[in-house]
Amino acid sequence: MGRIRAAFEDFGGQVLFAGETLAWAFRPPFRFELLLQQAAAIGVGSTFIVAVTGLFAGMVLALQGNYAMRQFGAEGYVGGFVAISLVRELGPVFTALMVTGRSGSAITTELGTMRVTEQIDAMESMAVSPIHYLVVPRVLAATLMMPILAVVFTATGYFGGYLIGVYVSLIPPGPYLDHTKAMLDVPDMTHGLTKAFMFGAVVSLIATYRGYSASGGARGVGEATTRAVVWSSVAILMVDYLLTFISIG
Amino acid sequence: MIRIDGLWKAFGDKEVLKGITLDVEEGTTFVVLGASGSGKTVLLKHVIGLLKPDRGTVTVDGMAISTLSGRELTEARGVFGMVFQGSALFDSMTVFDNVAFPVRERERRIPHDELLARVIESLRVVDLGEDVLDEWPAQLSGGMRKRVSLARALVANPKIVLYDEPTTGLDPITTNSVDSMIIQAKERRGVTSMVISHDIASAFRVADRLAVLYDGRIAAQGTPEEVRRSDDPYVQRFLSLWFEKQ
Repeated sequence: MGRIRAAFEDFGGQVLFAGETLAWAFRPPFRFELLLQQAAAIGVGSTFIVAVTGLFAGMVLALQGNYAMRQFGAEGYVGGFVAISLVRELGPVFTALMVTGRSGSAITTELGTMRVTEQIDAMESMAVSPIHYLVVPRVLAATLMMPILAVVFTATGYFGGYLIGVYVSLIPPGPYLDHTKAMLDVPDMTHGLTKAFMFGAVVSLIATYRGYSASGGARGVGEATTRAVVWSSVAILMVDYLLTFISIG
Repeated sequence: MIRIDGLWKAFGDKEVLKGITLDVEEGTTFVVLGASGSGKTVLLKHVIGLLKPDRGTVTVDGMAISTLSGRELTEARGVFGMVFQGSALFDSMTVFDNVAFPVRERERRIPHDELLARVIESLRVVDLGEDVLDEWPAQLSGGMRKRVSLARALVANPKIVLYDEPTTGLDPITTNSVDSMIIQAKERRGVTSMVISHDIASAFRVADRLAVLYDGRIAAQGTPEEVRRSDDPYVQRFLSLWFEKQ
């Protein structure tokens, strides 16, 4: 019973933290320099790993798609299948999971260390809101950079799928590209970008909250980081289901 | 300047503060002396609004800190500078950026030259030169970190400076120099200081008034001489060990 109550309190704390972050986000001074620093750390810093995972995800999709569709003589549809899968689903989800592992954990560790070494208390004592100074730039940067990273993932993924589909599975490039154009539509892209945008907000809010509320020295920071990664991953899939259900339910 | 009235605080079943009442007058140094775990740091965190009391009030410079929250509390903290036990320097910033931080946040359009001059002046108060400006906190010794922390607390000319165990873990020479800095901050800048400490020698050196905290209550309060002559058994025992050594 106590654990259930603690879980509800924890969730309530996360919701209040998100509300406080939203409220501070619209208050001056606007810290563009910090936003750019975080955008560089989260966005530019994650580009390579996102591109590499995207490339291999697209290559695997093309192999699997060709394996399934050639049974019906529909190999030409592999291009469309790869594109739709990447744009609507795998691009945003995989990108969010990669950013969670790379940047989410780093954010929790950094803020957690600042909390347990009283650096956050020091900031508060200097009449500076740590939510405004530390949390808002990280959440905004992750929310804005996630769709861009998802586009990188999707583009490299489609490129990888094309290489495998056309040069390994020997699907003619004409039908590969034509079916992509025919199957992929603007709503698919807005659906994927909306997901990435939401994942960016969810992942960064969980990561910052876990760090901000860390306690108990180095061990506490370690536990907070583990929780941040686990709960971000779960939240990504839950939000993914919700948005997909709303879109095509 | 600081008035604490009937302050109670518990964490779960553990009562840490049990009805603390004290006054800190403007321009004086007030030391709260007590053994580890007596509730000193919890008391200090109530003064700056980092913790909320279960009962009682904390009034600072006419503001009821204990009832404020959010933006009002953030703005009210403008009267404070605070020196933390572990210095709490921002480890992602150089010494210059650490000391400049409170000024930059309050005067966002301050020219760089003026900011640099204020940082150097503040470092000079704690006997540090310009050579440390580009150092990182991890490169400094414990004593130097403490000095930089004090420089950061003083740079924005606060009315009140709070010290959390400023001499813990320091050698006798550095302890003496930190004591001198606390006295100088009062004499040169006219700040009101509240010091939390278990260092009896240091407390008697810097205090205008002091209180001995025991088990969440104030066992004795007054001038150093009045506290020394207190007939409270805990205060007698707490002080006797040190005075016998002298």
